Amino acid sequence: MKPGAWHPKNWPLTLKVPILVAGLMVGVSLLVTDRVLERLVETQERHLDALAGAYLDGLSSAILPDVLRGDVWEVFDALDRAGQLYQDLNAVETVVTDADGLVIAASDPRRHPVRTPLSSAPFAAPVPDRVIIDEAGGEAIVRRVLSYQDRPVGAIHARLDVSGLLAERRDVLVTLLATNLALTLALAGIGYVTVRRMMRPLRVLSTHLSQSQQGPVSLIPEADLGSPGTEFGKLFRRYNTMAAAVNEREQLSERLAREEKLAGLGRLASGMAHEINNPLGGLFNAIDTLRRHGDRKDVRDRTIALLARGLSGIRDVVRATLITYRGERTAPALTRADLEDLRVLLAPELRRRNQTIDWRNELLVPFVIPGGSVRDVVLNLLLNACAATPHGGAVALRCRVEDGLLHIAVEDGGPGLPERALDYLRSPDASRAPVGDRSGLGLWMVRRLVDEAGGRLEVANRPGGGARICLALPEATRTRQRELRDVA
Amino acid sequence: MRTGRARGSLAIGQPARLTRRSLLAGAVSAAALGPALASESSALRFGLTPVCLTDDLELLSRLRSYLSRSAARPVELVLRRTYQEITALLVSGQLDAAWICGYPYVEYREQLALMAVPVWRGRPFYQSYLIAAAGREAPALADLAGDVHAFSDPNSNSGYLVTRALLAERGERPESFFRQTFFTYGHRNVVRAVATGLADSGSVDGYVWQVMSETEPKLTGRTRIARRSEWLGFPPVAASRDAEGSVGFRALQDAFLSMGEAEEGRAVLTLLRLDRFGAPELGDYDAIAAKADLVRTLG
Repeated sequence: MKPGAWHPKNWPLTLKVPILVAGLMVGVSLLVTDRVLERLVETQERHLDALAGAYLDGLSSAILPDVLRGDVWEVFDALDRAGQLYQDLNAVETVVTDADGLVIAASDPRRHPVRTPLSSAPFAAPVPDRVIIDEAGGEAIVRRVLSYQDRPVGAIHARLDVSGLLAERRDVLVTLLATNLALTLALAGIGYVTVRRMMRPLRVLSTHLSQSQQGPVSLIPEADLGSPGTEFGKLFRRYNTMAAAVNEREQLSERLAREEKLAGLGRLASGMAHEINNPLGGLFNAIDTLRRHGDRKDVRDRTIALLARGLSGIRDVVRATLITYRGERTAPALTRADLEDLRVLLAPELRRRNQTIDWRNELLVPFVIPGGSVRDVVLNLLLNACAATPHGGAVALRCRVEDGLLHIAVEDGGPGLPERALDYLRSPDASRAPVGDRSGLGLWMVRRLVDEAGGRLEVANRPGGGARICLALPEATRTRQRELRDVA
Repeated sequence: MRTGRARGSLAIGQPARLTRRSLLAGAVSAAALGPALASESSALRFGLTPVCLTDDLELLSRLRSYLSRSAARPVELVLRRTYQEITALLVSGQLDAAWICGYPYVEYREQLALMAVPVWRGRPFYQSYLIAAAGREAPALADLAGDVHAFSDPNSNSGYLVTRALLAERGERPESFFRQTFFTYGHRNVVRAVATGLADSGSVDGYVWQVMSETEPKLTGRTRIARRSEWLGFPPVAASRDAEGSVGFRALQDAFLSMGEAEEGRAVLTLLRLDRFGAPELGDYDAIAAKADLVRTLG
């Protein structure tokens, strides 16, 4: 697996969409939770303020005269009754102090004895006239200064149990988080299922496209096409149309390749006719010579040797032709002689065009590869090279085995390959066959051979003019060999 | 001298608290309020002080009902916050009779006539208790020094005078012996103050404490008796000496003395945990009078 496979860019859509949904939901839920809690806290504090205010107001109006008199019992009695009246408030304790800060009475007199300074926590710290919430202790501290004729005469200090409010906050928080989590998971799940459903046609398409790399492009079956009105219905139909066109073109290309081969055969046949016809005149002359001077031994021997040379030349030509165009297609290996046969076949064409060939065949032992296919391709390249090279020019062939690869290079003295052909041969996309250009069919066959043999193709125009096409082919395994027999 | 003090006290007497007044107005009778004179109405006005459990609305209702039926006249119950207010109303003739404490009685003995005396546990006597918190070790009065001490009422015998006299015998005053003192104006409140810890100790009517130990055992259970006084004359029902022998006086006196004979009266006695009301013995209050003299002499 590539290291980049885990990069978010490479994640499948079925993962990306749920993650995006979950991310959005988490963001939304954080925002909502924050706002709701903020409002809840505001409401609770307002409520508590109002409740504590009512408590302190009621209490202060009840005890003010008693505080002025320092009446311990009446203050205590009022606190006792207020504690029962304001049960909603959950006052843990209430302490009333005089102007000197000494306790007059407290709801819990044992904690705050009469006439002692109010010092024990949490009342010791000065508290302003508003509710102070101590979240850790679950308590709120509130203080009200008692004034009479604009003079402070004492104060009420109350400690309220707000653990109920805090528990409510926690409950709301937990409820919100649980709800949002459930919603997030549900939406992510729905997102996953939905995207998976939406992506199913794409997977069908992807499967068919990947199949097409290994063989002919397969059409999407009628059952999977879906409604023609939907996007994917349209896409599938277009794909099928295209696939049909590609298959048709493939077939056309093969037919054209066969025709090209026949055309090459025709050219070769006419060359061969010359090749046979030329010595024939000499042979008939030799036969005449034998008739007339056959009794003369020296003449007879010379003439018979001449006949034998002529006939053996014809035999070579005929044999090479037979091997190339008949029986030997299933040869398991490419031999040195196979390539030498090509030289024989090419000779008439070279002669006709008054061209020379620089032939370096260094294939010493048979190379395991479907010989027929390779020979067809090399012959095609050589014929193309001759065609591209002007009269009197030179072509070249190099063949050698290096690092387990069979290297065959063909060079010509022509103007070089056109840009389009170079692009095609260098392109990784094998299906872009240059249909309609006859010279291109040879390249198409070369490309198919190299691709199917798992080899390499190097194409370049040489600086001094002319093209150079190098094939690098690996040895074929048995199964591969069977496949390659069908090539070309 | 005594009268002057009483008048002076009356002048500074605090008005009844609004809350208490409205509470009782609803429970007792709206007509009981206001300075209606006996001559203008045939109703008898009977004053009550916290010598008994005046917080018990059922008791008040039944007592009023019984007295009205027995005297064959409407009876209004008059409650005030302090003994002093009731005493002042009684002495000034604004009440036909009142259940007052022995201490005001001995203070105003010349102006008051005894009508009936409660009999509790067979005798017309009761005790004053010094109480402290239940868990506290306080076997002697000296252990209570420096306490926050709750008194019932400055004109109460059991809730003030007994302790005051006890301290006077030792040459102490409540202000110096205790760290802090306050009045709760009710024996039940003294028990509450000590039970809750507002006060470290208190002076309370032994009869009220015993009744409460039956009606509110949780409250009294949080206190313990540190010291019991000698037996003293039970708070009596008294009337103005001027009214002694009047029709109203006799009607009320008959009602009290015959309380055990009627069913409704027995119900009242049951609620009060009293045996009956008996004829008064003047000598029963000499011990209280001696304490009052002692306090006056020693300051």
